[in-house]
Amino acid sequence: MSVAILALVWLMGISAARILMPAPYNWSLQSGLLLSAGAGLGIGIASSLYFLVLALAGPNLIVLASVEGAVLIVLVAFAVLVKPAAALHFAPGQPAPTYLTALVIAAAAIAVISSILAYMSKPHGEWDAWSIWNLRARFLYRGGQFWKDAFTNQIPWTHPDYPLLVPSIVAMTWTLARAESTAAPGIVAFLFTFAAAGVLISTVGILRGKTQSFLAGILLLGSASFLVIGTDQYADIPLSFYIFTSLALLCLADRNSSSLRLSILAGIAAGFAAWTKNEGQLFIAALILARILALYLYSDRSGLGRRVLSLVAGMIPPLAVVAFFKLRYAPPNDLLSTPPKQALAHLLEFGRWVTVLQGFFIALLRIGGFLIPVILFLALYWYLIRFKVEETLRTSVATVILALALMLAGDFAIYVLFPNDVAWQVNTSIERILLQVWPAALLAFFLAVNVPQLVSVAPPAHKPKLKKSKAS
Amino acid sequence: MVRHKFAVIALAVVALGTGFWELLDLVGASNRGVDFGVAAFESRFDEFRATIKPHSTFGYVSDNPPNDPSYLSEYYLTQYTLAPAIIKSDPNEDLVIINFHTERPDQAAMHALNIVPVAVYGHGVILCRRAAQ
Repeated sequence: MSVAILALVWLMGISAARILMPAPYNWSLQSGLLLSAGAGLGIGIASSLYFLVLALAGPNLIVLASVEGAVLIVLVAFAVLVKPAAALHFAPGQPAPTYLTALVIAAAAIAVISSILAYMSKPHGEWDAWSIWNLRARFLYRGGQFWKDAFTNQIPWTHPDYPLLVPSIVAMTWTLARAESTAAPGIVAFLFTFAAAGVLISTVGILRGKTQSFLAGILLLGSASFLVIGTDQYADIPLSFYIFTSLALLCLADRNSSSLRLSILAGIAAGFAAWTKNEGQLFIAALILARILALYLYSDRSGLGRRVLSLVAGMIPPLAVVAFFKLRYAPPNDLLSTPPKQALAHLLEFGRWVTVLQGFFIALLRIGGFLIPVILFLALYWYLIRFKVEETLRTSVATVILALALMLAGDFAIYVLFPNDVAWQVNTSIERILLQVWPAALLAFFLAVNVPQLVSVAPPAHKPKLKKSKAS
Repeated sequence: MVRHKFAVIALAVVALGTGFWELLDLVGASNRGVDFGVAAFESRFDEFRATIKPHSTFGYVSDNPPNDPSYLSEYYLTQYTLAPAIIKSDPNEDLVIINFHTERPDQAAMHALNIVPVAVYGHGVILCRRAAQ
């Protein structure tokens, strides 16, 4: 039953994505993008509706099923009626060698089998899953009229102020299925992990061609820690999905700056980042600032206001849900409750800067959980193939890089300013903080780096007619 | 072109090698039957869980040493298992859940905490209440 419910949620997301990114019905790379982005969008929409129904109508199965069902029907109807635009395909370029296609299929197969095995050995997920996310889902589902106990201050270690996207979608699935099962959080985790790979392959494919997109896909699917944290049912991978998808959609939006639909869709994805984890709220600020700067520096400034406003317009519905939750139910955040005097004292403590810098450096070497630090291989790759950002991609690459830089700068500042035990905070979270930006970093890398020449380019052929004339 | 091929193959080998290594690890773990044991832990509380009502609060006491990582993980798992009840890591509640790892409860420890058993659920799980002063 959980599978059927989550399939309908997925359909809801695909429909919402298709309304703003109309594609023909025949298969194209855009279909892959719709399927991948739709998974996260559907989960975001369905979880927001679940929370609003719970808050406004209480734990009522009929109201919940009616609201979710009505929204699904409306979105599907609009998606069917929307006039298809031209399909997005792989960017033209040299064909990808067969071995690269085989490698990406192998990477996907290994990742899928690993995720299934990991789920089978840990169906409840890992520490954060059962101490925060699935625990909160149980409070929402099992609590009945006392569902607000999920935000009690009596057990502060459960972080009752954390946003509810993941717990809500799990509790919604249990409620509609009328049964609690580990399949729900397991499938949600699987969808986010592989949808991120789908969005990466499609976006890089549309913007840079098949070879680049397959390489990016191989690298993300081979990132052991990305898969492990995903199947551990931590919320960092859903967050990384939304951060990355919003940036990917903005890159696609830059191809046709007159259409604002993709910017709106990017805004919705960014809004869901804020509904997933508190770091998502930091991302919202970083994204808006980065977008303004990138458009100002690298684009036609006349459209700046329109393009930024469309992004913000997309963010508004999810952010309204976040604001409702934060203002009405969530207790204050433990880190941000640090008194200003203490935060200032932390700022002036040199040792904290060293601890955080060291943490970032080590985590950077470990990013992706590769056998050998992948950052060194990316540097080698860069040296051998070189960067050349195409004119048409400058705004996109600048948006991604600035957003990630601002986000990481914000994370750095939070580490320095707030936690009492900074070493513990860094050790327990910094690798996940970097994973949150890992797919988006791969997007920036493969948009900026040259396309490798893997297939021999045949020398210009002699014109047969000329030959003939010479012979004659 | 050789440089490019080398760069691509090096990157692909690192990625696929890591993925394959992770897969072997997981296959090995599943063959050894390694299980963190959330389900097993939950099953110890099955009988008690059936009696729990929402919006109830319990204290929690364990025979794990407080500084041992197992204390915190088992306390968190107890909260996960017994949600939507609220479990506080504190023996000073009216009702207290005892999570012992022996079938014979440590009477002296319970006496010291001023709690008396109300119901014994097996597997070291006991519900206690505060004794009259």
